[in-house]
Parts: sequence; C-alpha cells; structure tokens
Amino acid sequence: MGYEWEFGLVFKYWDVLFDGFLGTLRVGIVSLILGAIGGLILALMRMSRYRLLSWPAIVLIEFFRTTPLLIQLFWIYFALPVVIGITFGAYAACIITLSVNSAAFFAEIFRAGINSMERSQWEGGKALGMSQSTLMRRIILPQAVRRMVPPFLERSFELMKGTTNVSAIAYADLLYRALELSARLYRPIEILTLVALVFFVMLTLTSMLVRYMENRLDAARL
Amino acid sequence: MDEFRWDFSVVFEYQANLYRGLGVTFELSIIIILASMVGGIIIGAGRYSKNRLFNWPATAYIELFRNTPVLIQIVWFYYAFPVLIGIQMEGFYAALIGIGLNMIAYSADIVRGGIQSIEKGQWEAAKAIGMNYFSVMRRVILPQALRRMIPPFTSRTVEAVKATSLASTIAVAELLYEGQVLANTVYRPFELYTAIAVLYFFATYPLVLFSYWLERRLAIDSEMRL
Amino acid sequence: MSEIILKVESLHKYFGDHHVLRGIDMEVRRGQTVCMIGSSGSGKSTFLRCINFMEIPSAGRLTIHGQVVGQETGELEGAPVYDYRENELVRVRTKVGMVFQQFNLFPHMKVQQNVMEGLVTVLKMDKEEAVSRARANLDKVGLLVKADQYPSRLSGGEQQRVAIARALAMEPNVILFDEVTSSLDPETVGEVLLSMRDLSNESMTMIVVTHELGFAYHVADEVLFLYEGLIHERGSPDEVLKNPQAERTKGFLAGFTDFYF
Repeated sequence: MGYEWEFGLVFKYWDVLFDGFLGTLRVGIVSLILGAIGGLILALMRMSRYRLLSWPAIVLIEFFRTTPLLIQLFWIYFALPVVIGITFGAYAACIITLSVNSAAFFAEIFRAGINSMERSQWEGGKALGMSQSTLMRRIILPQAVRRMVPPFLERSFELMKGTTNVSAIAYADLLYRALELSARLYRPIEILTLVALVFFVMLTLTSMLVRYMENRLDAARL
Repeated sequence: MDEFRWDFSVVFEYQANLYRGLGVTFELSIIIILASMVGGIIIGAGRYSKNRLFNWPATAYIELFRNTPVLIQIVWFYYAFPVLIGIQMEGFYAALIGIGLNMIAYSADIVRGGIQSIEKGQWEAAKAIGMNYFSVMRRVILPQALRRMIPPFTSRTVEAVKATSLASTIAVAELLYEGQVLANTVYRPFELYTAIAVLYFFATYPLVLFSYWLERRLAIDSEMRL
Repeated sequence: MSEIILKVESLHKYFGDHHVLRGIDMEVRRGQTVCMIGSSGSGKSTFLRCINFMEIPSAGRLTIHGQVVGQETGELEGAPVYDYRENELVRVRTKVGMVFQQFNLFPHMKVQQNVMEGLVTVLKMDKEEAVSRARANLDKVGLLVKADQYPSRLSGGEQQRVAIARALAMEPNVILFDEVTSSLDPETVGEVLLSMRDLSNESMTMIVVTHELGFAYHVADEVLFLYEGLIHERGSPDEVLKNPQAERTKGFLAGFTDFYF
C-alpha cells in the first residue's frame, strides 16, 4: 500500500507552524544572549582565586554540562518553584534553563580558550614590561577569542537544536505546534517531515555561514 | 506562607521504580553506543572515501542527522515512520532508531576526522608496498586513527546517555519517565527531580572523568609511540 | 648488456596549469644505479613518484620489465596518454619499491612487523616465511637487533634503514629513493648512504634522487641532471659531475661547495 502525501493540507496551516517557528527563534536567541553573558560571568568565577567564587561555579558548570537538558528543564519548571515559592511560566522556565545550560558550556569554552594560550605569549609580553591588564587586552584575549569562536558557534548550534526540548513543557515552539497540528490533522508524516526540513535548512545555512566565518578567521590569523 | 519541608523519604520509598527506569536508560544507551561504534566506522570510512558512490550518501546522512534536533528525529520515528511503513512502532524502538541514527552520524564524523588526521606519508608508504585501499585502511590507517578517536567518542557516549532522557516524551519507561509518573502521583517534584538529576549525574560523570584521563594518557602515549 | 627494467618515454606531468615534467625519456638496466640531481622544483620527486604511480602521469609511456603499464587512450602534444586502473597499479607497486624522505614507517607496528607487513598482507605469504625474509633483510641493513622495537625508539638513520629493508623485502625489480637522506641529522646520513652503496654493489637496480653528490659520483652508473622538467644533461658521473657540458649543470654544481672532483 502506498502512502498518499498531502502537503497541501499542511500548507493551509502554515501560520500555525510559523508561529511555532517564531517561538523557537524567540527562545533560542534570548537564551543565546543571556547564556553568553552568563558564561562569561561563570568563567570569571571559575578562574577566580577565591574558592567562594570558583567552587559554586565548578559545581554549576559540571552539573549543567553532564545532566540532560530535559531534566534541567523539568527541575526548573516543576521542582524549583516548590522550594522558592515562585512559579515560572513556561517561557521563563525555558529561558532560564537554556541560558544556564548554555552558560555552563560557554564558560568552559572561554576558560579553555584562555588556558590554551601558550606560556610563551604571556612571557613574551611580560618580558616587554606589560602589565597584566595590558597583556590580557592586547596579546592574550585577541588570540584567545579567535580560538573560542568555533566551539562557541558549535555550542550555539546545539542550543538552537535544544530549543525543541521546550515542547515537553508545552511551550509553543515549532515542534510543539507541529505535534499539535499532527494530532488535529492526522498527517504526522507531512508535518513532522516539513518541520525537520525547516530545522535542517535553518541549521545547515547557519553552519555554512559558520564555516565561511571560520575560514575568514583562519585566513586572518595566517 | 507555607514553609517548604524537604522529604526525601519518597525517593527511597519508590527507589525501585527509579532503578527500573535507570535500567531502561542503560539498555538504550548500551545498544546506541555499540551501534554508533559499528555504524560510525562504516559510514565514516564511506565519508572519507573519494569514491562518490560512498561519499555522497554518507555525507548526506551525516548532515541530515547532525543538523536536525534529536528530539525531532525521535518524534518522527514514533509518529511519522509507522504511518509510512504501516507497522506499529513501540516507543522504545522509535527512540532507539532516532537516537541511534543520530549518534551514528556524529560517530561517523569523528571517524572521518580521525582518519583525516593520519598524515599522508602513511598512505603513501602503504600504497608503495602494493596495498589496496582496504588493506591500507585496515592495517595502517584505522589502527592509528582509532586511538585518536577515543576522546571525542567518549564525549559522544555521554551525549547518548543524556539523549535517552528525551525518550520520556514518547512514553518510554526510562529514568525520567518513571520520575515524571512518580512526581504526578506523589506530588514531590523537588525531591524526585533532584534525585533523578543526581542519578543522571552519577551515570555520566564517571564517563566524563574517564575521557579527561584518557585524553591525558593519550597525549603522553602519543609522544612515546605515535 | 643487461635487460631494460624500466623504460620511460615522453613522460609529462601537469599539476593544473603547471607543466612540471616536460617530456622525460630514460631507461634503467638491471643492476644499474641511476642518480637524478637537480634543484628543488625541477620535478625530481614528481618524476620518481610517477614511476610507481603515486602520481598519475599526464602523458607518456612507462614500460616495466617489458610490459607497458596502462591502456593507451589518446594523445597529448605528441605523447601517448594512458589510462590506469588502480588494481594494475597496485600490482606494479609490488614490483617497484620506494623509500621516502620522511621514512613513513608504521608507528603502531614493531620494526620486524613493518618489514613483514607487505609480505603478509599484499603477497599473502606464509607467516614463518615472511618472518624469515623480514629478518634476513633487517640483517642486511644491520638492524636485526632492533627487530622487536617500535620505530619511535630508533634514530632517524635507523628508521630510514628499516624503510629500506621494508622495500627490499618485497623483492622489487627496482627501488626508488626519494631524497632519503635530506631529513636526517648529518651523523646518520652516512650509515644510510652506506646501506645504499652496499645495495648498489649487490646489483640492485636503483633510481636515486639525491643532493649527495659524493654518493652520486662514487656509486652511480649514470647521472641525470633535471632542470625545469627536462633532462638537461646525462652521462657517467665523471662526465656530468666532473666535466659538465651545459651551462645550467655547471651553475647547479657550483652551488655545492663540499665536493671537489
């Protein structure tokens, strides 16, 4: 028995799916920005000399990097409110989770970037009599930042894919709308395949852009 | 305002459920990891091959499964695929196929990267004594490349274990699902979800530590051997 | 006169638009040692690599042991063009050995296994036979004592000699040496050249691309000077190295201050 494809029906409801797409973008971009800032803060805490700062940072980073995103989401949405007495809307819970999760990964990327700077760079600058802050600013950071860009973009990529988790707590992202629509129209193949394609196109274009930028960066370095 | 009081006794009371779920998590993880090892080598070698017959399908497969979210893959195999082939699909298998294919794609890319990292001279020397492509791969390239693939592959296995939690959305009775069911019956979300998070942590963190150790070990080793 | 092991006719090689080999004709007889000299970029390595088809010639005919390699399919600027099938080339390479500048030993195998590898995997030899042949060849280059070591434990010169043993073990018709001493520390260059001289004296057919003019003078039967993809001058070592005729040859040799003939 052959399957009869019926994409026409799906396109009639394109506005529902588009609404979901916007939801995905909303969550993704806001979390990305907050996550990057958070990652910077966490990285500084992590590298701090004061254990009061570094230990909590380490715990948070390790925990959010090794546990599944979904359990983090559930915990923030269902568990945390019980303890602190504040309830989060689905949107807030998604943003918090995705931001903190990304921040943990970004923190490690930032830290690795700084640590990867060979001693020779530090020593070269010091021998010239540079102060710590000048050294950081003029020698270390410019090079370190270049090294951080690829894994940073890679992680942002993962973040965009991770936004689909929000469908599990009924936030109206693309996947959630798709599942909703499938239940109504009984056309899971067309809808889900279409949604998969949307992600595929969006992410492939982004990764091509990333690779292009990486090549530009490499050329600049050489 | 009602003060929140911790009561972890619930966790211990229902720990059997959680361990049962953990068992399913491990079951899924092991199968996926093994599949990704085998599938990764096959497709990775294909991806590396200069023969378009192997390279293009392999590349298409890898790009498709890396550039779409794994949750969509799981959901697609659960809802869409059964309709397409006319067979009912149990959640466990849908998750297995979805996550499995996803992990194979990542592993394939790791394999390709590993093979690519072996310097050309090795290829040349092997070809110069008359080896064909398969012999070169089997005897010279892969043995060396495999060693380099271990650290990134270990990270991948951590991701695989984490991905199994997504199977809960299609009612597979793994750890998170069991936890959800309990949370909805006993109304102790904080204790339960915290316990589950901790369980996941202890399931994956040893792997993470192992990969750190492995990376250091291989770095030393490579100076001596390779 | 001994038989012709290798015959090269009108060999051309293009890399994109770059015409690296512009029509090389030469032949090597059994037992001969031919040295090729020339500056970097003259095409010496490319020439060598065309002979065992690590590079595919753009045009020209290669005849190994009386057999033309490949199928003739056309013509390019007066030279025949051949089509080559990988499985034929694979067989050719069992008969044409090569030693590389970077040795390229297999680091994950011990020295003895390195030498045996071709015998077992390609020639499908019996393990015992392969072991004894491998050990015999290691002995020939004086490294039997290192048979059980990993390559990383050996010096550069020792690794290169193992590479020679590896090529020898396949019992090829001719061995190609691609600047095999250029990457070595000066102290170890000598031991490798010594091994090569012994091989030459034992009537191994060899084509040696080298900068070591002393070796070329004392060991070669014929010297070819390659300039911009063509053989500019050829002859005995006395003729080419001691009494070069062409200006370019004289110019090239003048750069070498270590050798006085």
